[in-house]
Amino acid sequence: MILQIFLLSGLTIFSVLAILLRDLLKAAISLALASIFLAMVFFRLNAPYAGVFEISVVAGLITVLFITTITLTKNPSDVRENKLPLIIFPLFFAVFIVIDLIIMKNLLNAVQPSLPGSTGPAGIFGQVFWNERTFDLVAQIGVIFAGVFSVLALFRTKDKHE
Amino acid sequence: MNSAWYLQMGFAAVLLFIGIYCLLTMRNLIKLFIGIEIISKAITLALITSGLLRGNMALAQALTITFIVVEVSMVAVALAIIINIYRHTGSLDVRQLTKLKG
Amino acid sequence: MIFPFIAVPLILASVMPLIGRFSKRFLPDALANLAFLFLLVYSLITMRQLSATGPAIHQLLFLKQVLNISMVIDGFSAFMLFTISLVTLCAGLFSINYMEHYGAKANYYALLLIMVAGMNGLVLANDLFQVYLFLEVAAVASYGLVAFGLGLDELEASYKYLMLSAVSSGFILISIAVIFSLTGSLNFSQVAAGLQALNLKYAVGLCAGFFILGFGLKAALVPFHAWLPDAHPSAPAPISAMLSGLLIKVSGVYALARIFFNVLGLNPALSQVLMYAGVISLVVGAVIALGQNDIKRMLAYSSISQVGYIILGIGLGTPLGILGGLFHLFNHAVAKGLLFLNSGSIQNATGTRSLDQMGGLAKRMPLTAATTLIGSLSIAGVPPLAGFWSKLIIIIALFQARQYGFALIAVLASIVTLWYYLLIQRQAFFGKLNETWENIKEAPFWMSASTVILGLICIAVGIFFGLFLRSWIQPAADALSAGVIYGFKMMGF
Repeated sequence: MILQIFLLSGLTIFSVLAILLRDLLKAAISLALASIFLAMVFFRLNAPYAGVFEISVVAGLITVLFITTITLTKNPSDVRENKLPLIIFPLFFAVFIVIDLIIMKNLLNAVQPSLPGSTGPAGIFGQVFWNERTFDLVAQIGVIFAGVFSVLALFRTKDKHE
Repeated sequence: MNSAWYLQMGFAAVLLFIGIYCLLTMRNLIKLFIGIEIISKAITLALITSGLLRGNMALAQALTITFIVVEVSMVAVALAIIINIYRHTGSLDVRQLTKLKG
Repeated sequence: MIFPFIAVPLILASVMPLIGRFSKRFLPDALANLAFLFLLVYSLITMRQLSATGPAIHQLLFLKQVLNISMVIDGFSAFMLFTISLVTLCAGLFSINYMEHYGAKANYYALLLIMVAGMNGLVLANDLFQVYLFLEVAAVASYGLVAFGLGLDELEASYKYLMLSAVSSGFILISIAVIFSLTGSLNFSQVAAGLQALNLKYAVGLCAGFFILGFGLKAALVPFHAWLPDAHPSAPAPISAMLSGLLIKVSGVYALARIFFNVLGLNPALSQVLMYAGVISLVVGAVIALGQNDIKRMLAYSSISQVGYIILGIGLGTPLGILGGLFHLFNHAVAKGLLFLNSGSIQNATGTRSLDQMGGLAKRMPLTAATTLIGSLSIAGVPPLAGFWSKLIIIIALFQARQYGFALIAVLASIVTLWYYLLIQRQAFFGKLNETWENIKEAPFWMSASTVILGLICIAVGIFFGLFLRSWIQPAADALSAGVIYGFKMMGF
């Protein structure tokens, strides 16, 4: 329990850092660290496949994409962020956390975790992923193609629209 | 661990708040997208927690993995657009993008 | 056998870049448009088959093994498939000429095919998560298509569209996660049964709220409409037609209607929220459209207004209201597609979108002027064109339900709609010919042909509206008003 809270707090702190840090490169790395904490939470919750995917894709591939973009868009005069939101952020944040945990503990704890009619065979992951959710795979292929073709369209060299 | 599911849902809500706060206040195009990434973390946490709640971790993991695949595609397209905007205007300030007024 | 609706566009899209290496123009044009034609014909065949067997779930069988890809087809899905394939075919035909100066036609057609596959998948889904997934497929394809021209406006519009769309998808998925944790399943019928058994008012209300936030943004309901007036004008004309005519309705209205009617169950509170959202969109869209100078922007605000009409009709919940709403969905898809395609013709010929600079174009572009007139009058609700009947049905439904205030606002907004459409006609087409446009020509063959097809459909549906209502809209409306569904007939194809 303590470890869980520690991991979740680490996740939150690094996410907050990702938006408060001025340097974009450090923000991207902070985001990657937050992903690693999230993946550890997944491992503790007995979701190893999700954890592995989270690390390899989000903390890996997406961070690489971010760093590539940041390097390609290096600007000598950085964007001046408004200072005010950064200062009042801790205040909002603390208030929100307090309200949130109170609501979560009281209101939603009324819903028992062992809800009646717990359906769905808690099967082996492989079986579920390939056999039960096969249609999702078709959609995944579709979305990957959509992403690839969009990027190809955006980076084509000639024939720009006047 | 089963009784502490509300803790995870609470943290997911906190992450959602952080992400939305980032979207509302930041000006750098890439920072805005980091906000969306944080919202995605909140969603994956919520999905896995709901799997914990129902004891059906296999299905929850399948959903989470599928969502991460979708997220990668979205990140790729968004960053491609950001790079192209940079090539046009030379800056990443969202206040520069005021040609269209909504 | 309804899997080809998704498989054919997807497979063709995957080989399209390869084809593009061999033949830059002819093969991509021909193959893509043949695919669209196939989809249209197949949707007609499916509808005929549907009326014979009734709503069913199709399970895909591969080499005698159940592959567990199940799609549901009922009246509502078949109707949407027909609408999607019709407007897509015309947009595809239009693109043969229009996308010449954008280049990279193979890439464009690939993205268009993926978008169609995504929309088809969405209407055939049987499962909450699949609805979200195919919505994302169509959305990611549309991000690339909006930014296709690579100009600064287009990139800016695409970026804002992407940000807002990603947030809305996030809300939808959070709602799905909550529903999953409450009921343990994602299947429509199982979720419906589960929610009825649990009877948790607040949790269901929270989910419904998040769904309205998410799908409302996709459908551009006020106050979530901010992305539409930037994204739709900046996209290439056939993509504007697809977005305004199809995507906001498929990923917004269809998903909203399907989930609220067949899964959550429409209670009076939800109905009120939908009706208010609809009527506010209706008024705001119409009023802002009046002040626009850019023709595509005016059409974009008109889309916001008309989607408000559709949501008003569907939100009413009575069988007649749903009938009117769905009929207006079809009419608006056809007519708005027509109008956006024509705006592309105008932009192609004159190079401008600004109404101030146009004038008297009818003398040089008579076909475009005529079809624009038909489309405008159809949306504005002038008899005997199709739009008149759908608006009339919605207003009658409002009267019958004793919602006189809403009915009055709907009638007044109709008048405003007629006003600004006649403004377009007058400023762009009639009047004295501006000397700058002395030498322009009528739009090329495929562009004119596709708009003529859509115009003829507007007229035909207007004249034969009774037949159309009975054969297409009535099954769709019945599917929705059947309420929460507990199970479909299983059918292996």
